[in-house]
Amino acid sequence: MIPLAQAPPITFWGVQPGSGEMWVKIVVALVVCLLIMFGLTFLPNAGRKAVVWGFTFAGGLFYVLLWIVPTPINRGPSDLPRPGEEFGFWLQDALPHIVNSANILTAFLLGLGIYSLLRVHLGRIAKRQPDREFSAILLVCMVVMAGFGYADWIMRRFGEGREKLELMQNWTPVQYAFDLMFDGLLQQMDAAMFSMIAFFILSAAYRAFRIRSVESTVLMASALILMLSLLGALVALWNGGVDAMAVALNLPNASVDLKEAHFLNNFKLNEVANWVRSFLQVPALRALEFGVGLGALAMGLRLWLGLEKGGISA
Amino acid sequence: MQWLDTGWFGIVITLVMVTFILSNIYRADKGKKELFIRRIPGLNAIDDAIGRATEMGRPVIMVPGIGSLNAVSVQALNVFAHVTKTAAQFSTPIKLCVADAAVYTVAQEVIRDVYQKQGMIERYDVDSVRFVSDRQFAFAAGVSGTILREKAAATFLLGEFFAESLIFAETANSVGAIQVAGSTQTSQTPFFIAACDYVLIGDEFYAASAYLSRVPVLVGSLVGQDWCKLLIATGILLGFATNSLERSQETSVGRVPLAVAAPEKWTAMTEETKSVFEAAEDEIPLDKPRLRKRNETSVFRLFNPLVREADLRVERPQKPPAPPAATGGAQ
Repeated sequence: MIPLAQAPPITFWGVQPGSGEMWVKIVVALVVCLLIMFGLTFLPNAGRKAVVWGFTFAGGLFYVLLWIVPTPINRGPSDLPRPGEEFGFWLQDALPHIVNSANILTAFLLGLGIYSLLRVHLGRIAKRQPDREFSAILLVCMVVMAGFGYADWIMRRFGEGREKLELMQNWTPVQYAFDLMFDGLLQQMDAAMFSMIAFFILSAAYRAFRIRSVESTVLMASALILMLSLLGALVALWNGGVDAMAVALNLPNASVDLKEAHFLNNFKLNEVANWVRSFLQVPALRALEFGVGLGALAMGLRLWLGLEKGGISA
Repeated sequence: MQWLDTGWFGIVITLVMVTFILSNIYRADKGKKELFIRRIPGLNAIDDAIGRATEMGRPVIMVPGIGSLNAVSVQALNVFAHVTKTAAQFSTPIKLCVADAAVYTVAQEVIRDVYQKQGMIERYDVDSVRFVSDRQFAFAAGVSGTILREKAAATFLLGEFFAESLIFAETANSVGAIQVAGSTQTSQTPFFIAACDYVLIGDEFYAASAYLSRVPVLVGSLVGQDWCKLLIATGILLGFATNSLERSQETSVGRVPLAVAAPEKWTAMTEETKSVFEAAEDEIPLDKPRLRKRNETSVFRLFNPLVREADLRVERPQKPPAPPAATGGAQ
């Protein structure tokens, strides 16, 4: 529990916890929401689109304002806004509440996801489709994991002697079962799936590096340089060879021992690899990121202003 | 007023780019001339891939990545709507696997709408849009299993992908599916290039809906993005020139963090205060002139404004002390 002195201050967006005003506001909000939901069922499709766009615009406008209006700096808990700072204060106070509202909506949507899983897998079992035993395992696992997870959460949060559960020797069968299922099975299976990527990289790289075109040859050559530059012994051998060549050619400043600057230094393996990274890879990635960022900006603008035509909005 | 200036230049540039995009959307919407979009092989391949699936009688599998409901997943669903439209015309089965409950809800609506608009609502299978799991590798395992079991003839991997990208691409490759992929995650694009037949690189992903539909608003927006790219390219060239010029000149004043400019003041600060004043810099005279550093050029300062200690000190009126709390109230 948060000590009262550290509790967040009451702003425009909040009320005194436990007060009558809080309960009145909760009831009013609930009634208003139910009325809105009831009213929405009578809306024609075109009207629904306008409602969706209205909410999208309002949400977008909030974040645009939050981005444009300067954030009050060095704000203390008992600070009052100076002239001109009121709107910035209001936006800053509103942010956690807007984020919470979005999180609550997402939580509701998770219920729909679970409904989809149940429908697909129960349907498969009911229709006696092939591989239905895997669907049964999935559903059993989902129920058991949720049951033990919830029981563990209740015991740790509200149970008697909950502080003792921090230590493993005080665990009950519920904690052991949850630990076995979550850390012992789920996390391990995640890790196993992740480790498979190594083998997939191998097979994908084999196909990509087959020299079939100019592009794949360039890809192969640059990958080879970068991979070889990570092998210390090979780099030492290659670079030593370059130094020896500089001495043999009698270049200015050439020396095997001092390794001073000379033109052939540019052909040392680590230098070539660094050049490929800094002058080819990084600019290309930045250019891609510019493009992606601009695409996201244009897409966001179209969605925000209701200009998106086709696909979802068609 | 003593606002902390957090880079007016970035905001102005963004607003200019917004103007470019909106003005081109307006221009395209009003104009009669069709704007040109270059050929994008990955998008041309969509119809071929669906045709192949139809001939083989095997499904088309679509994955909008593991991101939440945002511009990327909406764009992926836009492309999937086009894929579904074509697939519906040939009665090709589709499967859309999602990892986010919000995307699942929207995807379901989009796919049903497509079938309804095509007048083929009876062909819509409610199980064609599936929520698999919101855990990354559980989702990867579920989608890979679907690809293998259904023996997909074509897969469309468009959206936000992370480590699971190669699992999908290689699994689909192992069943001989034609693959069209595209991700906004630049780190995953090489994996797709290595394993997929067609890849949408960078902003080609966002160009997809304009390319497929040729709706003037979308095409105009694409032209606006090109104007923005020209602006950025010009900015890079100008920045390169001014930076080179400035860095070849000497300076007799150095800008240093507060910890260096006023160490006694810095050490007296609490850790909390230090975190606020960490960005503060000050100017100190140098013993002898030296060349400017990277962070002392005007281009750098345009995006990283100089913040002095005085800028961070703000005096505000205080709230009157609160009355004693009512007894019995929850905390």
